[in-house]
Amino acid sequence: MTNMAAGSTGAAALMGLLTVQFVPVRALALSLLAMAAAVGAAVFWPQLLVNQEVLAGGLALIPALLLAHHRGWPIISVLLGVGLVALTIIHLTPLYFGASFRGPFLILFVVAPYIAIALGAGWFGEVRRYQAELRATQLQLIQSEKLDSVGRMAAGVAHEVKNPLMMILTGVKVLSKRLPDADESTRQILQDMTDAVERADRIISGLLNYSRDRGLDVSAADLNATIEKSLLLVGHHLEDARIVVSRHLHESLPMVPLDEFKIQQVFVNVFTNAIHAIGRDGTITLTTSLERLGRGSNVGHRKTDRYTPGERVAIIRIEDSGPGIPREHLATVFDPFFTTKPTGRGTGLGLSVSRQIVEMHGGTIEIGNRDVGGACVTIVLKLDTDGAPV
Amino acid sequence: MKKRRILLVDDEVSITRVLELYLTENADCEVRVENDGPSAVAAAREFLPDLIFLDIVMPWTDGGTLAAEIQADPMLRGTPIVFLTALVSRNETGGALVQIGGYPFLAKPVDPDALLAFIDEHALDRA
Repeated sequence: MTNMAAGSTGAAALMGLLTVQFVPVRALALSLLAMAAAVGAAVFWPQLLVNQEVLAGGLALIPALLLAHHRGWPIISVLLGVGLVALTIIHLTPLYFGASFRGPFLILFVVAPYIAIALGAGWFGEVRRYQAELRATQLQLIQSEKLDSVGRMAAGVAHEVKNPLMMILTGVKVLSKRLPDADESTRQILQDMTDAVERADRIISGLLNYSRDRGLDVSAADLNATIEKSLLLVGHHLEDARIVVSRHLHESLPMVPLDEFKIQQVFVNVFTNAIHAIGRDGTITLTTSLERLGRGSNVGHRKTDRYTPGERVAIIRIEDSGPGIPREHLATVFDPFFTTKPTGRGTGLGLSVSRQIVEMHGGTIEIGNRDVGGACVTIVLKLDTDGAPV
Repeated sequence: MKKRRILLVDDEVSITRVLELYLTENADCEVRVENDGPSAVAAAREFLPDLIFLDIVMPWTDGGTLAAEIQADPMLRGTPIVFLTALVSRNETGGALVQIGGYPFLAKPVDPDALLAFIDEHALDRA
């Protein structure tokens, strides 16, 4: 074996050692197996050792290729793969076809990486996009599985919890009636017990929403009117907190196919969050609009999953003048049981249920912070595609 | 005026105990409790209630089966039945009574004052 071959073999060994640091055992085993097979073939078939430098270089590429593949370096993987194939061809060709073919293959060896880069750049761009979509889908599946788990748990727990609640509530009422002349503190305790039962019932009821048949009762509805009805439901909270509602509602919004009761639940949840965020003296700005989606429409990063270019959607934006959402919470606000509200004010299920309802409609709901401060919830709902211009 | 006869059927003894207390102390009611589902129809025949509050999930015989048996019984047919159940939430009933399968449902936990109002409105008047 020449010095060059020995050097290349040493490089292969060094690469193998480096590989141990980065590549899982299975990849390392494959690498060693490939090299052992090559050495074994060379022992039993001495002609293979004709171009020892080329052979050693090729062997050195195997662990490098596995390393690059494992680390997710696609272009380097392609380059190394092309190099490995080219070296193999260069090595074997003279054995069967004579040295005359070696020149063209050397040219191929030099040119191929550039072709690979040219082809690979576009191809891997697609691959990366698909990988990103796959990761997003996996996250959605995990989230969906979490919600299903909550639903299954809720169905089992709710029945066992609601019966004791019934007993406690009735018992408190019995005691209240029996103690008409109770002092103030006794009456307060009994009232607190009643409130505690109602709070627990709200939490259980929220949980039960997950275990229900998730069907929709869809009919064509006036979205602006649905928003107004939802505002009525939180009207006294708005008044108490002296919050002004500023409306910018699209005047000729077409009817939207939706389950009005469930969408009202979404709006009430979002409005309630906005009211709690503002606290006192502030503004909630409501905007409805129509949009025909094109590529790059700014309606959310998951739009490619749910919408097709040219599709018409109704967009509802609910902006508040509160402090906004801390950056570290933005990724978790839709998780079940996530809440920043004090004990007793939130179950941590409002936004989670809301997203479930909106997604049942084939729409999306997203939350972010406004540049000028405060939070912004964007809800996108599909419209019937009747071809009418937006 | 004759006392209203109310039959409470629920396997939860603690619930029927306090409900019986509440109804007898705060309304002109005669209450009978039955914690054993299979015995409920016989108890109803004997008691001839003006209204039955019936749990759904009970061992051996569920509330739905009992309701069907009661309505099939010539002596009991037409007796108003109200399901008290932990299977539906107050979100779903809107905090009020809903009709499912022809029967009214109230979601536990029910404010007992709501039960009094319901008795006044729906119990049979056999006087």
